[in-house]
Amino acid sequence: MTPLLEARGLSRAFGHVQALDEAEFDVRAGEVVALVGDNGAGKSTLVKALTGNLEADRGELLFDGRPVSFTSPAQAFALGIEVVFQDLALAPHLNPVQNMFLGREIPRRGLLGRLGFMDERAMRERAEAGFRDLGGTVTDLTARVGEMSGGQRQQIAIVRAITWADRLVFLDEPTAALGVVQTRHVLDTIKRVRDKGIAVVLISHSMPEVLEVADRVQVMRLGRRVAVFEGADTTVEQLVGAMTGGIR
Amino acid sequence: MSLVQRLSRLQSVWILGVLVVIVVLFSIAAGQRFLSTGNFSLISQNIAVWAVLGVGMTFVIITSGIDLSIGSVLVFSSVVAAKVMAAVGGDGWSTASLGIGAALLSGIAWGTLNGFLVARARIPALIVTLGTLSVALGLAQVLTGGIDIRSVPESLTDFNTYIKIVGIPALPFVALVTVVAGAIVLHRTRFGRYTYAIGSNQIAARRMGINVERHLIGVYGLTGALAGLGAVLALSQFGTTTIAGQSLTNLNVIAAVVIGGTSIFGGEGSIFGTVVGLFIPAVLQAGFVIIGVESFWQGVAVGSVLVAAVFVDQSRRARAQRGASSTRKERT
Amino acid sequence: MKKLLVTGAAMVLALSACTSSKPTESGGGGSPAATVDPSAPAATSVTAPGKASKNYNIQFIQGVAGDEFYITMQCGIEAEAAKLGVTVKTQGPQKFDPTLQKPILDSVVASKPDAILIAPTDVTAMQQPLEAAAAAGIKVILVDTTTEDPSYAVSAIASDNVGGGKAAFDAIKKLNPNGGKVMVMSTDPGVSTLDLRVKGFEDAAKADSSFKYLPVQYSRNDPATAANLISSALQKDPDMVGVFAGNLFSAEGTATGVRQAGKTNTVKIVGFDAGPNQVKALREGTVQALVAQQPATIGQYGVDMAVAALDGGQVTPKVQTGFTVIDKQNIDGEGAAAAYKSSC
Repeated sequence: MTPLLEARGLSRAFGHVQALDEAEFDVRAGEVVALVGDNGAGKSTLVKALTGNLEADRGELLFDGRPVSFTSPAQAFALGIEVVFQDLALAPHLNPVQNMFLGREIPRRGLLGRLGFMDERAMRERAEAGFRDLGGTVTDLTARVGEMSGGQRQQIAIVRAITWADRLVFLDEPTAALGVVQTRHVLDTIKRVRDKGIAVVLISHSMPEVLEVADRVQVMRLGRRVAVFEGADTTVEQLVGAMTGGIR
Repeated sequence: MSLVQRLSRLQSVWILGVLVVIVVLFSIAAGQRFLSTGNFSLISQNIAVWAVLGVGMTFVIITSGIDLSIGSVLVFSSVVAAKVMAAVGGDGWSTASLGIGAALLSGIAWGTLNGFLVARARIPALIVTLGTLSVALGLAQVLTGGIDIRSVPESLTDFNTYIKIVGIPALPFVALVTVVAGAIVLHRTRFGRYTYAIGSNQIAARRMGINVERHLIGVYGLTGALAGLGAVLALSQFGTTTIAGQSLTNLNVIAAVVIGGTSIFGGEGSIFGTVVGLFIPAVLQAGFVIIGVESFWQGVAVGSVLVAAVFVDQSRRARAQRGASSTRKERT
Repeated sequence: MKKLLVTGAAMVLALSACTSSKPTESGGGGSPAATVDPSAPAATSVTAPGKASKNYNIQFIQGVAGDEFYITMQCGIEAEAAKLGVTVKTQGPQKFDPTLQKPILDSVVASKPDAILIAPTDVTAMQQPLEAAAAAGIKVILVDTTTEDPSYAVSAIASDNVGGGKAAFDAIKKLNPNGGKVMVMSTDPGVSTLDLRVKGFEDAAKADSSFKYLPVQYSRNDPATAANLISSALQKDPDMVGVFAGNLFSAEGTATGVRQAGKTNTVKIVGFDAGPNQVKALREGTVQALVAQQPATIGQYGVDMAVAALDGGQVTPKVQTGFTVIDKQNIDGEGAAAAYKSSC
């Protein structure tokens, strides 16, 4: 079946550092793909190139089998692709609803809407629905995001991403700063996102987590894809071996 | 979180309590002389100009910026308005409206310049507005030779002296309308929401597609326009351009905004808090004069309240963070 | 949309509830028996009333706090108040500026004194607030400075500033019999007393052909500014022979500037007002003469007029007090009595 998003032969250099070297990548609709690799393997650069945050020197991108080229995140967003970077891009003084709709507030109907007045009730209801759907632990929608736990903040960022992106979501190290129980919740959330039909690309350093949620795992090393594994029958040793070059 | 809980976390509510305490103390000391509608009417008139400026400053500080130039922009705008009105001549409202228009345009121009330098040229707001503070005041003095212009149309000064709207003296009424409009924009519109977002996390705002540069130019432009409106009110109140009288205005307004609960680190604040913060120095001064204490003590008192207010706000914030992180471990 | 219409209608209604209390006829009733007419001839002294019929509450609002001229006035006021059996409280703004003085006046009016003695800081800006005070039934006495239309006041007492300016010129002439370039260092334009002094000096200087009158400079009542201005003026006209410093702060700053330029021997300075720093400068030779006003007398007359107005006695609407020229010869004699105090 045609991959949802596919990259062929992507290359990008920063000065004399070749961050991407004929890298390849593909993700299919409704699957969770994990992107792993050691530090400096090129994961972040690849994600930026796939989402319009960076332009590649060479190579091509295909979305739904058609060639595309992104010069800004807005173009990726228009196709239904969103990224949740590690900093989460949340405004700590605003509450979850306000954060969810940041930049995309629902205006009131008519003249008031054009003056900038917002439909707070509609936004709150959509937010409540979104959180309910994902079964998260965010209960108080009026509290400030900055006072919530890391896990809750991650959930808010994910809910925001999938509210607006209906095809594909990239998650960059979503569990890096979280404890055991919070990680559990995020992983459950990822599964539920997949079950809604949205593809997820997960960058993670944690091999056990990767093996738990990912349908496929793609390994990067030195700027290119070196291995693709099926999540079900892979071991940590195989992954680490591919990452470090122990196994070719 | 219940309403009571949410209210008790607001700095502005605590500061309102401080104001109430001050009013009670002075009322006990001076009785009817202090606690009279006439007295509060005069206090409101005297802070009307600051209230208008305070609305703009609240927006600016919420974006974690600052504007030191408002006093000078006010002076420049009042000079421009006075010159226009003197050139046209006459005492009626048609002359006055030309002056009002000139003052607002002048204010918007300076504000937009501030915003452009802060947002596009990426110069820190403290430096930019320190610069425009000097330039605007200097230009005003060049235009007038340092001499106040005294020919303000009678219709404008009569507005302050004689007019009452729904029983409220004219200048406080204009200030009240401005404050209410400012509060509605800040708390209920996208413009206000983006102001908070940019102050809270500018990178996030940018990432979510908000045009941060354009918004900041808008915020500083708004502040400049309000300085122009303040100039009109000052002309109405004093009948002259008060070139030498605005040197401390910027600090007084900033102090009021910060006392009222707006954080200089950005992301939070309210117009209501600013209004309460404005009343505190004005009530302190009026009270001291009425009970016969040297008004020098007013400076001591206001400075102490300012530092105490920020200290209380900081420790409250720190406690909230610690509280959140401890429940974080339990709740997850 | 409906909410907007409702709000709009409410605002229109509110605006139509606009009321104006402007009097449509001039010359309302109830004005006190004697009002100040600026063109009337001035008396030079007053008949002091006897003890007041009750312990009136009088408020004195200085032009600026911390200025020895107003402190000496306060001493005169307090002495006369004690003599007549009334109470006086003093307040003053930190700077000689109406934006600072008006809120103080407002608060004083709110405390409902029987009379206010005030030195207004601006002829225009303080006009309406003082009219309002008089309309509230408070007796207003103007001391030192005045406003555009002082008819609301019971009495206006000030030095004969025009004569004072002329006396300053005579002092400069005595020090420079051969003539030369002379200048005035004033404070702010629009301060009635200073403008009159400048006028007195200017008229006398222009009438004398051996002197050239240079343009007046404004120090904003700040000694540092005066020092800067005189330095620049000396650069432009190094052969200046005399400067008339219009008041205390101007004299301090001018003396500093002349000293820094090393011109103490060639530039003669005549100061107006005799604060301790100026008397010191006179002794040291930085300033050659001082034209001292009689602020204590002004204050004393102010209290007299307040009590007279409140008790229905004889009120003199316009009073001009004199001055003493202090120089090195009389500084320890009659000059010492004329010097200003820094505390009572």
